[in-house]
Amino acid sequence: MRYVKLKKERIKEFLLALQDYGELYAPIKVSEKYFDFRKITNEQVDEVVLDYNRTLRPPRRFFFPEKEVLFTFNSKKVEMYENKEAFTSEPVVLFGVHACDIVGLRIMDSRFIDDQPDPYYRARREKGIIIGISCLPDEYCFCNVRRAEFVDSGFDLFLSEVEDGYVIRVGSVKGHKIIDSTENLYVEVTKKDSDDLTAFDVKKSKMFTVSGNWDSLRYTLELNDEHPVIWMRESEKCLGCGNCTITCPTCRCYDVKDYPNLDGETGVRVRIWDSCQFREHGLVAGGHNFRPTKESRFKNRYMCKNAYCKEVTTAYCVGCGRCTYFCPAGINYKENLIEIRGGI
Amino acid sequence: MTEELHRRYIPDGQDNLYDTHKCRVLRVYKQTEMDKVFLFRFIDQEVGKNWKFKPGQFVEVSLPGIGEVPISICSSAMRIGFFQLCIRKAGRVTTKIHELKPGDIVGIRGPYGNGFPMEKFFGRNLLLVAAGLGMAPLRSVFLYAIDNRWRFGDITIINSAKYENELLFARELEAMRDIAEAENIQIIQTVTREDSPNRLKGRASEHLDKVMIEPKNSTVALCGPPRMYKSMFEKLVEMNYDPRRIFVTLERRMKCGIGKCGHCNLGNSTSWKYACIDGPVFDYYDIISTPGMLE
Repeated sequence: MRYVKLKKERIKEFLLALQDYGELYAPIKVSEKYFDFRKITNEQVDEVVLDYNRTLRPPRRFFFPEKEVLFTFNSKKVEMYENKEAFTSEPVVLFGVHACDIVGLRIMDSRFIDDQPDPYYRARREKGIIIGISCLPDEYCFCNVRRAEFVDSGFDLFLSEVEDGYVIRVGSVKGHKIIDSTENLYVEVTKKDSDDLTAFDVKKSKMFTVSGNWDSLRYTLELNDEHPVIWMRESEKCLGCGNCTITCPTCRCYDVKDYPNLDGETGVRVRIWDSCQFREHGLVAGGHNFRPTKESRFKNRYMCKNAYCKEVTTAYCVGCGRCTYFCPAGINYKENLIEIRGGI
Repeated sequence: MTEELHRRYIPDGQDNLYDTHKCRVLRVYKQTEMDKVFLFRFIDQEVGKNWKFKPGQFVEVSLPGIGEVPISICSSAMRIGFFQLCIRKAGRVTTKIHELKPGDIVGIRGPYGNGFPMEKFFGRNLLLVAAGLGMAPLRSVFLYAIDNRWRFGDITIINSAKYENELLFARELEAMRDIAEAENIQIIQTVTREDSPNRLKGRASEHLDKVMIEPKNSTVALCGPPRMYKSMFEKLVEMNYDPRRIFVTLERRMKCGIGKCGHCNLGNSTSWKYACIDGPVFDYYDIISTPGMLE
């Protein structure tokens, strides 16, 4: 247990200090409406946004990149050579991760590390540093019903907002080391800060548009597997673009492709994010498709996101609201789930 | 149904999960117009010696520069040191595989999947029903049963295909007929879409009444297109086969084989399965709890 307080005016120094630990990525405004984690250089420290709503791309991309070379190969010799980049690259320091995204990363770990570790993902994840930040929900958020609005682990440092600064909770040995080496930045946590934290939580819990616990949603979804209206109506709107799965912090489907070089001999084997919303996802040799219709693919995502993650004991959906916020067709995932739940 | 079957099977002892072992093609022989059987041996003999598989498991065949495909092993699990794959020319990678000649090298990783729980089959009659390419994984089960003949009761195998020239391993089964008869093994070969002088006509399910084995105390293994499973299931239950002893093996677009890439997942929230590590062999309880398995 270790708590320190960082005053608001010292946050810039804190960010600069973080750069000693690897490549710093933090949320900045990338367009009128959207934020994204971008690499932060010394000059850009001022641009870091601390009260952003959600990032365009999920934090999983730092450990499971959109496109990653697994092997280089020689097709004449039929030999493959492991790509060492993931093992030798600079660690990623990810600043400003919301609680739901930290849960999302732990769900990613449950597939990529707990059960036969994926070497590339694990190498990046183990050296990565996660610095969380507290947030207030907007109308798209429903992390509270997913039990993902608060995290106890999965971060190295967690910044909780109080009136004039941030109370930093240390979550790992790496976190301790960072605090130790930058000790002059911090002040003691006072009783008032502790009260502020409680007030912040009360304020936050009142801002959610839904309440309770949606763990039982799995039952409701299964019972409404043949719902007469909702699947057809909503999948009709769907463009099948896969935006919902690309922005999702827990989607982990990938495709593997070989790209030969022009010499006809060497090349790279690459893995690329795939989406269950694409027609090819369920296609097998001979032309049979296990999810032939848009409706079946649409339903598949709802089932997958509400399936039970045994390792983290929550649903695979963490309630970040990205799939609704970034949907070009305006499909409201949260409202659809509420409708399936019977309007509650 | 059992712990053994539900134990997720992933081979260990490899540094990089996606790395392959080099294998040499020793023999290629044409099975039908579209299918060829390839005999492989590991170049590294140490790997080959320790490489074991169960009937129903599959491997990922990798051709650098072209890609990877999941293929079921069709040789007997009792015969070690080599393995056979029956491959249909159906896509980009398999077309390239069909161009391989003896001496060529491919990358292999695996074996993956749970395979058939053969120990559970011991002491019972065995009914194998294959349709089309389904004969490939079931050949592995069939040869295993012949190699361990004393462990099984009566055995019946039904092999079916659309046309006579698509019937896999037809000549092999035909050549076995005498031995089979002596060992109480029944071989039924049927063709659905044409009249063939040597074969029965009709779907596999239409010939279940000719099966000599006693439905009680029998295990059934099915492999074929998903369309076949539903009708077979109903028919078999009607004929007093115990549904708990019916096993099916599924096909999906498995990219990784180790439960990561997500292409083979199926089911719903209470039963979320990856066909590559929880399957591809599934039993009755998996089927009733997991929608979409037989579609």
